Amino acid sequence: MADKQSGRIEADVRVDRLREEHGKVVKGCDDQILHWKKVSADYEALDDRLRTLPDQLSYEIMVPFGPLAFMPGKLVHTNEVTVLLGDNWFAKCSAKQAQRIVDHRVKYVKGELDDLLKTRNNFEARVGFTEDLEKISNKGNYVDIREEVGSKDTIVTKGKNRVAHKPNSKPKLNTVLDLEEVEEEGKGGEGDGEYNKILSEEELWARLDQLEKLEKQQDEEDRLSDTGDNNGEDTTSSSSEEEKEADCSQPENGLGPKTSWATSGPANGQLSSQVASGGDTVKDEDEQEEEADCLPTIYFSHTVEPKKVRINTGKNTTLKFSERKEHSLTHSKRKKKNGTNGHSHHELHKISSPVDIYRLFVDVKNGEPFPRKSILKSRSRENSVCSDTSESSTTDFEERRLICRNLSHDDAPHSDTSDGITEEDSPTAALPHAPSRFEAFSGTVVEKDPMPTAIPHLTIAAPALPTILERKQEEVTTDAVPLMEPPKRVSKFKAARLQR
Amino acid sequence: MAEALQKKLQSELEKYKQMQKDVSKSMSARQKLEAQLTENNIVKEELDILESANTVYKLIGPVLVKQDLDEAKATVAKRLEYINGEIQRYETLLKDMEKKSEQHREVLSSLQQEYQKAQGRAVGKV
Repeated sequence: MADKQSGRIEADVRVDRLREEHGKVVKGCDDQILHWKKVSADYEALDDRLRTLPDQLSYEIMVPFGPLAFMPGKLVHTNEVTVLLGDNWFAKCSAKQAQRIVDHRVKYVKGELDDLLKTRNNFEARVGFTEDLEKISNKGNYVDIREEVGSKDTIVTKGKNRVAHKPNSKPKLNTVLDLEEVEEEGKGGEGDGEYNKILSEEELWARLDQLEKLEKQQDEEDRLSDTGDNNGEDTTSSSSEEEKEADCSQPENGLGPKTSWATSGPANGQLSSQVASGGDTVKDEDEQEEEADCLPTIYFSHTVEPKKVRINTGKNTTLKFSERKEHSLTHSKRKKKNGTNGHSHHELHKISSPVDIYRLFVDVKNGEPFPRKSILKSRSRENSVCSDTSESSTTDFEERRLICRNLSHDDAPHSDTSDGITEEDSPTAALPHAPSRFEAFSGTVVEKDPMPTAIPHLTIAAPALPTILERKQEEVTTDAVPLMEPPKRVSKFKAARLQR
Repeated sequence: MAEALQKKLQSELEKYKQMQKDVSKSMSARQKLEAQLTENNIVKEELDILESANTVYKLIGPVLVKQDLDEAKATVAKRLEYINGEIQRYETLLKDMEKKSEQHREVLSSLQQEYQKAQGRAVGKV
């Protein structure tokens, strides 16, 4: 109650103040109007005088002589007036012209008067309104609805206050970091230390540039040595070599071309071509290696995923595969398989395309080969970091699928030519060892001899790459590069088949 | 604590007052300019009324200096231009000052609150 009363008093005070101010304005207007009226009257008189002045040639007048004295005098030049225009400007003109000037002035004064009158009326109306307001509020018949504004503390906000993004924040960096974290997790403790240090963006881009350059270089080399490559050198083993090399040199952050492959995760689009070229560069060494152990090995390496799966084929070939890659591969392949040729895995034992690899990974249930959902799932759950699809955009996935389809296309014809390697053959149990780099194993890869093996590697590598790319960084767009590769690869396949 | 605050408050208040003075000064200057503008406008209009036969004088000090009508017109026009420019200048100046004084006011009010709080605390302690 006291509050209300105080509020009323306050309101009264305020209304009084308002009235006061309004009154002031009105009074000021009135004063001005009076002033202008006087000016106007003066001008009227002047106008009058000017009109009558030239009537006679001269006037007998009493000339004021100082403030006290007058002197008798004569006014001549009755039609000659000097007018003060203002700002110390004077003009000598006839009485008529002076009249015109006076008229002009009068007009101006009238305008001023009008304005002032308007203002005054306006404020008078306001004064009346305030009086009405006062009356209304004093009558008490009307309730003043007012709501007290609480202090800031009492303002209740729902949830957290939103904070705007800073204009220059780089959200991408976060994703990069996240990815790296994921990768590190994927390593399962077997860190190469490569990604342990987080590259700054500048470093990253510098690296990308470097890789691009390398890629170009290698592309050229590749072109030069392309024929040789097609002749079926053991690129698979070369890739293995590559992997080893890459592994060694990873800590140095990949200065050579080989390491570039290993570390080229960020350089998505260029990767695939790099892989191919990388294989080429190491060819010679591969051959040497082959001779050494007479065991062609297919290595699929990715630096980020240290886990490798070694696939022991029934023959003398070992397929080494980076676990992650395989994982992703299988994913894509699975999709493919489920969709189109879900039961074809029986007869496909020969690895002539990436799809085949998947087929090799089969669980046997009730004596029947059963397509495994994921190559790695049953064994090393903890290692299967995350499904490829989860990380890659759907478009990427689609792309991959496309590739797979391409491959499988060619695949189908020679699938029945596969050497009879049973699914059981594949030491699937070996997979648990996957974490250790060169051990893991599952599935069987059939490779007849070094020559043909070269082809599978290529074919496998092609699809695998895109997955790597996607997996690694979604930020860089995966180009259609992989799409370009398959046909070539396929043709190699055919070559392989023919050789067989 | 309270004393320091008071001192600060005082100094801020002084500054604020000074600023207010500046503002009012430039305000009055602007008003003067406005008056001059109207005066010169009138002069210009009346010069237009005059004919070329009329002689125009400019009062410089105690003497009336005879001027050409066209010349006078040009001079007045120039003067108008100048006055307009000045008005613009003062306008921006005033805006600036307004902003500054607003900031000052905020500072002052916050200081006052602090001071009051400090006083209340001091009283509570005693």
